[in-house]
Amino acid sequence: MNARVRRGLAAFAALALTAPALVAQGPDPLARLDSSTRALVLALEDSARAEGLPAEAVLSKAQEGVAKHAPMAAIARAVRTVFLSYREARATLGAKADRTELSAGAAALQAGIPTTALSDLRASGHGKSIAVPLVVLADLVTRGVPRDVASHTILQLWTAGAGDADLLDLPKAVGQDILSGAAPGDALLNRARTIPLRLPPGKVPE
Amino acid sequence: MFEPKRSTIVVALSLALFLPERGVSAQLVSRLQAGAISSTSAGLVPSSAFSLTPDVRYDGHALKLAARGSAWLNGNAFQLADADASGTWTSPIVHHLGAQLIASADRTYYDAVNQNEQIEARARVHLVFSQQGGLWLESGVARPWRVAVVSSVDVAGAGAWAQVGGATLTGSYTNFAFTRLASATDSTGTVQSCTSQTDNSSCLRQSHFSDVQGSVHWEKSFVELNAQTGYRFGNASDVTPDSRRWASASAVIWFASDAALVVGGGRQPSNPARGLPARNYANLGVMFAAWPSPTAGAVPIEARASAISKFDIAEAGRSLERLQVHIAGVQTVEVMGDFTDWQPVEMVQRGRDLWEALLPIGSGVHQLNVRVDGGRWLPPPGTPTMRDGFNGEVGVLVMQQ
Repeated sequence: MNARVRRGLAAFAALALTAPALVAQGPDPLARLDSSTRALVLALEDSARAEGLPAEAVLSKAQEGVAKHAPMAAIARAVRTVFLSYREARATLGAKADRTELSAGAAALQAGIPTTALSDLRASGHGKSIAVPLVVLADLVTRGVPRDVASHTILQLWTAGAGDADLLDLPKAVGQDILSGAAPGDALLNRARTIPLRLPPGKVPE
Repeated sequence: MFEPKRSTIVVALSLALFLPERGVSAQLVSRLQAGAISSTSAGLVPSSAFSLTPDVRYDGHALKLAARGSAWLNGNAFQLADADASGTWTSPIVHHLGAQLIASADRTYYDAVNQNEQIEARARVHLVFSQQGGLWLESGVARPWRVAVVSSVDVAGAGAWAQVGGATLTGSYTNFAFTRLASATDSTGTVQSCTSQTDNSSCLRQSHFSDVQGSVHWEKSFVELNAQTGYRFGNASDVTPDSRRWASASAVIWFASDAALVVGGGRQPSNPARGLPARNYANLGVMFAAWPSPTAGAVPIEARASAISKFDIAEAGRSLERLQVHIAGVQTVEVMGDFTDWQPVEMVQRGRDLWEALLPIGSGVHQLNVRVDGGRWLPPPGTPTMRDGFNGEVGVLVMQQ
C-alpha cells in the first residue's frame, strides 16, 4: 500500500469517525448572536454548570430571544436575569429543590416576587412541590396584582391546603375580572375567597 | 359621490361576516409619549409646544378600543390638543374574507382658530391571502363638528397591502364627497357652479376629492420605521396647491424594553371638510410603555393568537404530548417553546377549528408561545403567563411527572 493510499484511507477514517458527531451537533444555536452576546451566553452557561444550575435555561433564553428577533442588548440582559434568578432561587429554596421548583422559583423571582415569599411557601409546603404556587404567583404579578397581596394570598391558600388545580384556575379567573374593570388586587382577593369553600372544615384560612 | 346602494352592500356584507365572540383573551396596553412638537401652516405663526400624549389600547379578541389624548404646554398652562377614541370590531376571517366596523371620534388642534372635532363610522370588507397580503373595500360617513359650512362627508375607498420581507406595504384610494356652503363668486368675480343658491353671495356646492396614499412600515430588532406619501386628485376649487402632494416619516427606536425614542416629521395635507390647512410638522420625544407594549400592527386586519378560543394539552403516549389549539378561519398556527429550542413548529389542521401538534415535552416547567397566520407570538389562552424579557409574554406549563 503506497503512501498516497494510506493517507487517503486515514482521511476517510477520520471523516467517518467525526461526521456523525458533527451531524449530531446540528447548527450552532447561538450562530445568530453577535460575538460579545455569544461570549456572555457561553460564560453564563459555564457558570451555571459549575454551580449545578440548569445551564440549558440560559441557552434557552438566548434561543428565545433570537427566535423573537430581540436586540442583542435585550438578549444579554435576559440571559443574565435568568442566570441570576436561578442562582437566587437555589439559594432560597435550598440544594434539595428539584429542577421544576427551581424553574418555577426563577420565574417568580423574574416577575419580582421577593425571596421571602419563596421561603415562606417552602416552609409551609409540607414536602409538596411548590412549583405551581410559584408559577401562579409570577402570573398574578404579571397581571398587575400587587406583589405583597399576591404573595400573601397564595401563601394563605397554599397553607390552607389549596390544590394545584385550584391555583391554576386563578390566573384566568382573575384576568377576566381585571378585564371587567376590577382592580387586580381586589380581583385576586375575591376569587381567592371562592377557593377555601371547597376545602375541608378547619382548613379555611382566616 | 359614492352610491348609497354600494355602501349598503359593503355594510351588509360586513355585518353578515360577524360571528359571536368566543372566549375572553385580551390585553391592555398603555403608553405615554412626552416630547416637543412644532408645526407651521401657510399664513399662520409657527407654533411649538411640549406635549404629553397618553395612549391606552384594549386589544380584545374581536373588539379593539383605543384612546389617545395630547396635552400641549403652551405658555404656563396645559391644554387639550389632539385626541381621538376609536373602537374596531373585527370578524373572524372566513374563506379569506373578513370584515371590520370602525367607529371613531377625534379632535384635531392646530391653534386657537384651527381646531374642531369629527365623528366617523366606516365598514370594511377584507380579502386576506394567508396574512401575507390582502385587499379591502370600505365605505363610511364622517360628520365634522363646529364646521357649520359642511354637510356630512361620504367616504369610500379601497386598498391593498402586502408583506415583503420585514416590511408591510400599503396603498389606498379614498374618495371624500360632501356639500359645503361656498361663495357664489370667486375672487375675480366669476360666478361659481353651485348645486343650489342660498342667497346672492353664497351657495351650496358639491365638493369631492380623492387621496391616493402609499405607506411602508418596517421593523427589525429595536427599530420601527414608518413612511407615507400621498397625492390628492380634485379640481382647484376643492384642492389647494399646497395639498396636492405630501409625505411624512417617523421612527421609533427602543432603547429599553419599555422605553423608546420617537422622532418624526413631514407634511400633512389640508382637510377641506374640516377647514384645516396643510401644515408641516416635526416631533421628537420619548415613549414609555407602562405594560408590555407591542406596537399596533401595520397589517390592516390581523388574525391574532388572542382569537384562539381554547388551548389543550394532553398525553399522547409515553413521551409525547398532544397540543391542541381551537381557532377557525386561519391559514397557519405555530407553536414554539423551550421544548422546541424555540424553533417554530407548524401545527396540523385536524378539523374546521382544530389545530394539533405532537411534541416531546418532558416533566418540569416549560415556556411557550403560539402565533396565528404569522402574527405576533403570544401565550396560549388559559395558561399562566409571565414576561419574557423581550417586551412580550410567554405561557407557562407545569408538566407533572
